[in-house]
Order: sequence, then structure tokens, then C-alpha cells
Amino acid sequence: MSRTVLDKLRQRFEASIIETHDFRGDETATIRREALLEVVTWLKERNDLELDMLTDMTAVDYLEQGNDPRFQVVYHLYSVSKSHRVRIKVPVPQDDPVVDSLCQLYKIANWLEREIWDMYGIRFKGHPNLKRILLYEEFVGHPLRKDYPKERRQPLIRRPEPEIAQVLARRGKARPLPTATE
Amino acid sequence: MTTTHDGETQDLTLVNMGPSHPAMHGTIHLKLQLAGERIEHAEVNIGYLHRGFEKEAEAHCWQQIFPYTDRLNYVSPMLNNVGYAMAVEKLLGVTAPERAQYIRVIVGEIARISDHLTYMAAQTMEMGAFTPYFYVMKGRDWLWDLLEEISGARLTHSYVRIGGVAWDMPEGFKDRALALLPRIDQIVVELDKLMTRNRIFLDRMQDIAVVSAEDAVSYGWTGPCLRGSGVAYDVRKAHPYLIYDRMDFEIPIGTDGDNMDRYMVRMEEMRQSMRIISQALEQIPPGPILIDDKLVVLPKKAATYNTIEEMINHFKLVIDGIRPPRGEVYSYSEAGNGELGFYLVSDGTGRPVKCRVRPPCFMGMAAVEHMITGHMVADVIPTFDTINMIGGECDR
Amino acid sequence: MATEQNKTEENKAPEMVPIVIDGREYEAPRGGNLLQFMIDQGLEISYFCYHPGLSVVAVCRQCLVGLKNAPKLVPACQTAIGPGMQVDNSGHKVLDARRQMLEFTLVNHPVDCPICDKAGECILQRHYMDWDHQPSKIDHPKVRKPKRVEIGPRIVLDDERCILCSRCVRFMAEVARDPQLVIAKRGNRSVLTTAPGKQLDNPYSLNTVDICPVGALTDRAFRFQIRVWELSATRSVCNGCATGCQVEVHHRRNRVYRLVPPRYRNRDINESWMCDYGRYTYKALDADRLTLPRIKGQDAGWDEAVGHVAAGLKKAMEGDRSRIGVVLGADVTNEDNFVAARLAFDFLDLPHVYLGAEPVGTAGDDFLRDNDPNPNRAGATACGRGKLRSDEDLARDLAEGKLTHLYVVGDRLHLDQESLGQAAGLDLFVVQATHPSALVEKAQVVLPAAMWAEANGTITSRDGKVQRLRAAVEPPAFCRPHWLALVQVAQRIGMTLEFASPEAVFVAMQQEIEPLTGARWGRRMPPRLLRYAGSRG
Repeated sequence: MSRTVLDKLRQRFEASIIETHDFRGDETATIRREALLEVVTWLKERNDLELDMLTDMTAVDYLEQGNDPRFQVVYHLYSVSKSHRVRIKVPVPQDDPVVDSLCQLYKIANWLEREIWDMYGIRFKGHPNLKRILLYEEFVGHPLRKDYPKERRQPLIRRPEPEIAQVLARRGKARPLPTATE
Repeated sequence: MTTTHDGETQDLTLVNMGPSHPAMHGTIHLKLQLAGERIEHAEVNIGYLHRGFEKEAEAHCWQQIFPYTDRLNYVSPMLNNVGYAMAVEKLLGVTAPERAQYIRVIVGEIARISDHLTYMAAQTMEMGAFTPYFYVMKGRDWLWDLLEEISGARLTHSYVRIGGVAWDMPEGFKDRALALLPRIDQIVVELDKLMTRNRIFLDRMQDIAVVSAEDAVSYGWTGPCLRGSGVAYDVRKAHPYLIYDRMDFEIPIGTDGDNMDRYMVRMEEMRQSMRIISQALEQIPPGPILIDDKLVVLPKKAATYNTIEEMINHFKLVIDGIRPPRGEVYSYSEAGNGELGFYLVSDGTGRPVKCRVRPPCFMGMAAVEHMITGHMVADVIPTFDTINMIGGECDR
Repeated sequence: MATEQNKTEENKAPEMVPIVIDGREYEAPRGGNLLQFMIDQGLEISYFCYHPGLSVVAVCRQCLVGLKNAPKLVPACQTAIGPGMQVDNSGHKVLDARRQMLEFTLVNHPVDCPICDKAGECILQRHYMDWDHQPSKIDHPKVRKPKRVEIGPRIVLDDERCILCSRCVRFMAEVARDPQLVIAKRGNRSVLTTAPGKQLDNPYSLNTVDICPVGALTDRAFRFQIRVWELSATRSVCNGCATGCQVEVHHRRNRVYRLVPPRYRNRDINESWMCDYGRYTYKALDADRLTLPRIKGQDAGWDEAVGHVAAGLKKAMEGDRSRIGVVLGADVTNEDNFVAARLAFDFLDLPHVYLGAEPVGTAGDDFLRDNDPNPNRAGATACGRGKLRSDEDLARDLAEGKLTHLYVVGDRLHLDQESLGQAAGLDLFVVQATHPSALVEKAQVVLPAAMWAEANGTITSRDGKVQRLRAAVEPPAFCRPHWLALVQVAQRIGMTLEFASPEAVFVAMQQEIEPLTGARWGRRMPPRLLRYAGSRG
């Protein structure tokens, strides 16, 4: 597959591109966080590219690989008229997990960004309504992060202490449920 | 609650539709602010069926994820299986053998018909027409009998494997399938006769919830909903995969982008799927149904139990998992609701770093607030039905 | 410990010479072991019989590589690095040789994976998947050998699985210096067995289970308990004696299944070895633990117990404070002792503290095990600020009636029945411990504590090395780390003592205790799943 989109992107935004590849034919560019809005607007509006559909948006947590920055927000853009695709990746550090919102460009970004907030705790600057979408509001934590253990229980209803002690005495080594701050 | 509407202040009534509601299938919560019967403001809450597919996938080997994919779009599980298998094969850089590709297309299209039939049943029944529902269930069960023959289960097939399919079509499957198609067609014809020119149906579906092509693309719509709005994008035609390039079929496109168009597109797609199935059954070549790669496919059981080499092979494939190279892929196929994408990230070990499902009906649901605002409460149900939201896929 | 021929880097800085492996250039130490160098570079190569801590015998022939100007393939483990060497590690002949050697090794290997403990960390399994993908070519029965031989009190041998790499034989002969194992008979009838008249009962015998590349030698206590890929490994330090060997705690769901030396050989304390006694110290974590605070023999809540202790101490503070005795523990962490010392010296103004330690015994040897069974005597001594008295002094002070209140941290205080009786008669006798004992029985207030594998902290080895303990499992329901219980008591009696975590205690301790100023808390090492990339074999 020819690297049409990547070549044009390189020409225009060389300074903002961290790296590109086309592993298995998927054109991918990793760009700097600050350039996101500009790059995506350009990709959408430029006539010969016209990437008018935000097919998917997600984030990946590279904690176990030890990457710094820890997260990457991944955008898949598609052009319905030109039938080409590109993947844009934006590295996001753990201590400042904020990215520009694409709500103004694509209507679906509203929900997709809410899902990333819900699952990873990455905020989107300019999002009108950044609240949880798949999980309930009282949920504690961001479950798709790698340091959120799959088996963690959520504080739902707190039993009185003597009842807890009784249950634990029966179960031996079991641990009380985590508090909201853990 | 008050708002200005047409210059007057009015009290709005808050009505919760769902999540416990017979027609909010898949479990959806719509928070409606009504002025009389008209919806002034709507808020859609999803997530009631969120089961943590991605988190589970990160804790399992690549080949262990198939049962989870069954439970994504659970009215057409074969299509999810196929989509996921294609994604891992893209990551590995292998292709399934030809016969397996044909089988995948056949079972995939049967699943698509089953998906659209279920849509028909829900659409019509939830508007009050009970009869089509029973006709459809009858037909759907016949299809599920076919799928049970080939995979062993009516719904949770887990039939597809990385590198092919689990086992070959049974004896006589082709004849039974070909014999079934006209009977399914008969049901589609009956449905068509009952509903498509039905006055009540037309009143409730035509010109309701019109979505322009531009809006549909901006909402990331794909599949029958997008085609109903007039955009001719079907993954099977735009980016042919498996053996779809050898199949002769058409994709129906709507004109107005209203509920009726989305219904008509699905109606016609069922007929096209039947065409694909009969062509594929005629063309299918003999051959292996799994690739011959020791690092991807489990060895035969007789050898596994009797030789140490195959035992080790089987053991390590199951415990350590298949080990694709480091990298990431986005693989997409046409599922019942549109472009079902899998974004997989691998770090060279046997389990995914990331296994993202791009759920087509999630995008559909995102537009519902916009679609029903300004319409009546009674329009909510037909509109919501045409999105064909499947909870397992939308919420994962 | 290790033989000289494998440790060239210990002597003088070796001369680096250029060599080429697979067309790529490297700088390698002249005379060094080629296989070890290739392993260090992360190159892909297979081997069974080579081990950096044992002599080189080149019996398995799995590490064959091609050398320019050599007529045949050579075993890399037996090749000394010379300048201008050109090594072929991926050519057709080399790959074929690897396949063929594995084929031979597998010819008589039993189809035991489903019942073999080593499955999941078996080197034979890993090499098959990496290098040999051919199916079996034999069509006649395999050679049968003794299948479940109890060659020692702690080890079971399966001769059919043995691939005759002789690692265990060499270990017993060279490292343990007790040649209890031999390979008898010849050809495909060769069997691993004990030397005539001997058992495999050396106190270091379980190391052979670690280094066995297959499941021939298995630990009887671990056999069939759990599958290794379900375990997670946490790095910590053995608490069996004052040596402080580095260990990995293998656990799953709050239960510890075994202790082993760390996956990668460390250079300083125990390299790749551990003593059998140390390996079994995990059993104490589950056996008979104190789980609830007790006041005068009755179960009570923490709040109540801390209150009782605080009330007693407050009363003591009104009078002559030197009648309060605080006992540091030689079996608890530096952080625990530091907080106890802070409480004793900085708040209660005590003139001295005591050391609760098990007496030095005779179980030590000249290899790893030390005579001192206390893991942290050095650390407790450092925290004692030079004002540390022994348990004999404590017994005497009790007999002379000099104490009215006694606070013991740790299990190991050694007092005879008479002294214990005197202690029981004091106004306040508190013990923070983990297991029931004579000491705990006589105590008025018992506070259940967390053990070494359940706590984060540091301990100091006999050589003064400060090492990090990492919590692998949760303590039983109501146990708390010693330092936390002490902080809670201290706060109750009016001391301003704020520590949010053991790391905070460490930071404070570093600034005050001189021997610890150079110590490091160590990096974050979350438990490693023994599966996928984390497996040990």
C-alpha cells in the first residue's frame, strides 16, 4: 500500500511527527500532543485527503513496557470518499494526562472521549460533558489502566464493622473491602 | 423544569425510558424531557451491559479470547469471531486457507441474516405488530440449526480459529443450507408484504429521525445506518476481504436517511446475503481448513497424547499463547451493524497489550439524542430500533 | 563458591577483543566463556548443561555453534573467546544441529507434561518451541526407568524425565561439596542415582531442583501443589538467618507456595543458591498465626487493645519512666525497630532498650547458612543507638524488680519460665508477635503482627547489607505491621509521630541512623507473573 497519507503528513508536519511506520500496511504516525488539533483538522479538511470519519479513538497503557510517556491516545481516521486510512498516535504522560478534544471536528468524539476518560482517566480539554459513560458515576478508579487489578472489588455498600469482622473470621485470611481512597 | 419553547415558557416532564423497559433492549436508559409529547431534550445512558471485554482480553492468551468475542454482538456471533480471527492473522502475517475463508463467509452471512431478522422482529414487535416477530423467530431458529450443525452451539459458537476454522462443514451441510435459503426468503417476503407498505408502519417510520449523510459520517456511522443515509460504504465492497471479491452482490443504499430507509436497507441486505451464501456454497473448493503452522495451530489430539513433541507444542501454545511479533494492527470487517474493527497491540508475548473492539452500534447510539430530539415519545421506539443497538457490542 | 574458570571478571579487568557473531561485531573479554558472553548479549541460543555457577562439561551438545576455520560445530560453553573469532549462531548447519540434539533428547522423554511440576518453566519445553518444530519420528516404545524415586527426604526423582545434563551431580560435588549424586550405567540406560550408601539429604539439596532443566528432580513439599504459571513472584529477602539471601516469594492469592533464589544470578550474597532450611521458612506464614489482638487472654478489637496499652503507658509516664522496658526485635524490620526506638528514646526518655533475639546456635555452615538465626540483629543493633542491652540484662532487671512495664516487639525474645512469670506480674506486659509461644501466652496484651513476606521494609544482613523486603501476600485479617501498631500506640499516648508508609519511616531512619545512611529503598518491583515473559524456564 502506498504511503499517500503519511508522505503528505510528513511534508507538512515534519516537526511534529515523532515517528511513522506502516506495519502490516497500516499507515501510522505518532505526533506530539500539542500538534494534535492542527494535524487532525488539516487531515480532515485538506481536499486530497478528506479524512472525514473518526472511525475509532482509544488509549493504550504502556506501564508494563515501562514507556515514558505512559499512555498513548490512538485515533483511527478514514476517508469515505477516498477510501484511505491513517492511525494517529499521541503520547500522553502520566502526571499530566490531558489531550485536546476533537468534539468540534467529529461528533462521535464526544462519546469516544468520554469512554477514554472513564477507562483511563485521560482528560480532554474542551469537552463539553466529560463524565463517565460505561461505568456508574460512583465507580472508583480507571479500570483499563494496567495497575488496576482485574479482580478488584468496588465499594458498594459498607456493612457495619462487627459484621465484617464476623465474615472475615470465618474466611480466615481474607481482607476487608478497599475504601474509596485506595 | 422550564424552558422556552417557541417563545413560551413551559414545564418539562422528566420521563425515564429504561433501563428496565421491554423495548429498551440491550438495556439502555433514555432520560427524556418532554413538553407534552414532544421531546425537548434527551440524554442517553449506556453501559448497563459493560462486562470488561478489553480488560479480560488483556489477561488471556490470543486464542482464548474467542468466547468473549461471541458475546459481543450476540445476535451474529460468527461475524465477531471472524473479525477477531482476521485481526490476529493480520498481526501474525498469515492467511487462512481458501476453504476456511469460504466457510467463514458462509457462516458470516448466515449470521448477518440472523442479525437482520432479529432486527426485523424487534422493530415490528416493539411497535405493536406481534405477528412478524413469530415468523422471524421461526426462520431464525432454522438458521441457528444450521449454525449449530457446523459449530456445535446455537449462539456461542467460538467456531473460528486463528489460522482457519475449528472443523470442516459436516456431510450434507451444503444441501441443507441451499434448501433452507428459499424458506428464509419466503419469510422475508412475508415480512415485506406485512410491513413495508403498511400504512401504520409507514406513518411511524417515514421521515422520522432523518440523519443527513454528513451527520452520519461525523457520527462515525457505518453499516446499514450509514447506507440508509445515502453513503455507499460497505467494507465488503470498499476493501474486500476473505473471498468477497469473488462474490456477486449489491449493496442497497437509502436516499432519505430516515427510519424507513434503514429498515429497507436491512431488508434488501438479507436478500443479498442469501445470494452470497448460495454462490459461496457452489464455489467452495476442497482443502485444509487450518494453516499448517506449528506455532499457531494446535496439533492433532492423537499426536498430542502420544508423542512428547506434540505434547510440548500443545502445552506451550495453550499456556504461553500464540506469540505474534511486536506491533499493532487495525483490522476491520463488515459486521451486522457496520464496520467492526479490532485494534490489537502486541508486545511479542502470548497475550495482548491492548485488544480494542470498535463497536459499530456505539456510534449509532451516540446519535440517538440528536435523532429523537424534536420528535414524539412514540417515535423513540422505532428510531431506537433502527439503530439496532446490541448491548453486548455497544457496552462490551 | 563458583569455580574460577567462569569468573574471569572478578580478577583483573579482562582484555577486550573484537569478535564477530552472525556478522555483527562485539567487544568480548579475551579468554571468556563464549556461551556466557552470548547469553549476556541477549543472543538466542539453547543450552542445558551449562550453568554459570558450575564447571563446564559440554555434555548436552545443545549450544553448538559454528566457528570459522573449525571443521566441526563446537560447543559454545567450552569455547574460550579469542580475538578475531567468527561465530555462526544462525546458519543452517547450526539450526539443524539444535533440532537434532533436541530430537535425541526427546526420543526417550516421557509424555509427562500434564503431570510434571516443571511444566510452564521447563527449559526443554521452551527450547522445543523455539528451535525444534518437527514431530516425533520414533515408532517403538521408549526406554523405561525408575519413575518416582525418593532419593532424599525432600526430593523425588523421575529418571525418565532426566536428560542427563549432570547439573545436579556437579552442584553436589562442586558447590555443596558433598557428592551424593552420580550418573550410573551407560548409553540410553544411564540413570541419575545416589552414590552408593548415600541419600540426597545435604542441607543444600533443593538447589538441584532449581537447576534441573526438566522435571526430573522435584521438591516434595511443592509437588502437585500448584501450577507454576498461576504464581506471581515478589523479590524479597529470606528471614531464616542473618545471611539474608535474596529470594523470590512465589505466591498466588495470598498464599505462598515456595521460596526460590531470584531468576537472575546476583553477584554478592547467594548467587543462584539457597539452603533448604531457608526455603521452607514460608511454611511459618500460614501455620498457626495470631490473628486478633488479645487483652488478658480474651479476643479484642485493635482500638480497645491500643487503648489499653496507651492507658498503661500513660500511667507509667507519670512515675519513674526508667521502669518502662522496650524490647527491640532481631526478627523485625529496621523500620519497626526505628519507630520503637523513637518511642523509647525520644518520647519516653528511656536510658536504654533491650534486644529480643534468639541465641546464636550451631546450625550455620561455611556456605550460606549463618549460626545466628535472627535475620536482623545488625539492624536492631543499629537502631539501639548504642544503648542496647541483652535479654540476660532484661532477665536480671526483671528479677530485681526494676521494671513495671514491658513492651516487646517481635517474637524472638528469650526468657526462661521464671522471668516470664515475673513479666506476667508487671503492671503492663505487651507483646507484638506473629505466632503463639510461651512469651505470648504470658503477655497481658497481644498485638498480632505481619510477617516478613507481608510487610514492606528493610533488614540488615550480617555483612551490614541493607536489603529490601517486599510484601508478597496480605497478612491475616487483623494483623498490622509492627511499625504501624507502634505509631498508633505512640499517637495515643500523645507523641506526635506521623508516618504514612514504611517508606516514610525509611526516609526518616536514613537521616538518623548512621549505618543506614547509604541504604536505598529500592525501586518499585510489582509481583511478576510466572507466565509469558516472566517464566523462570
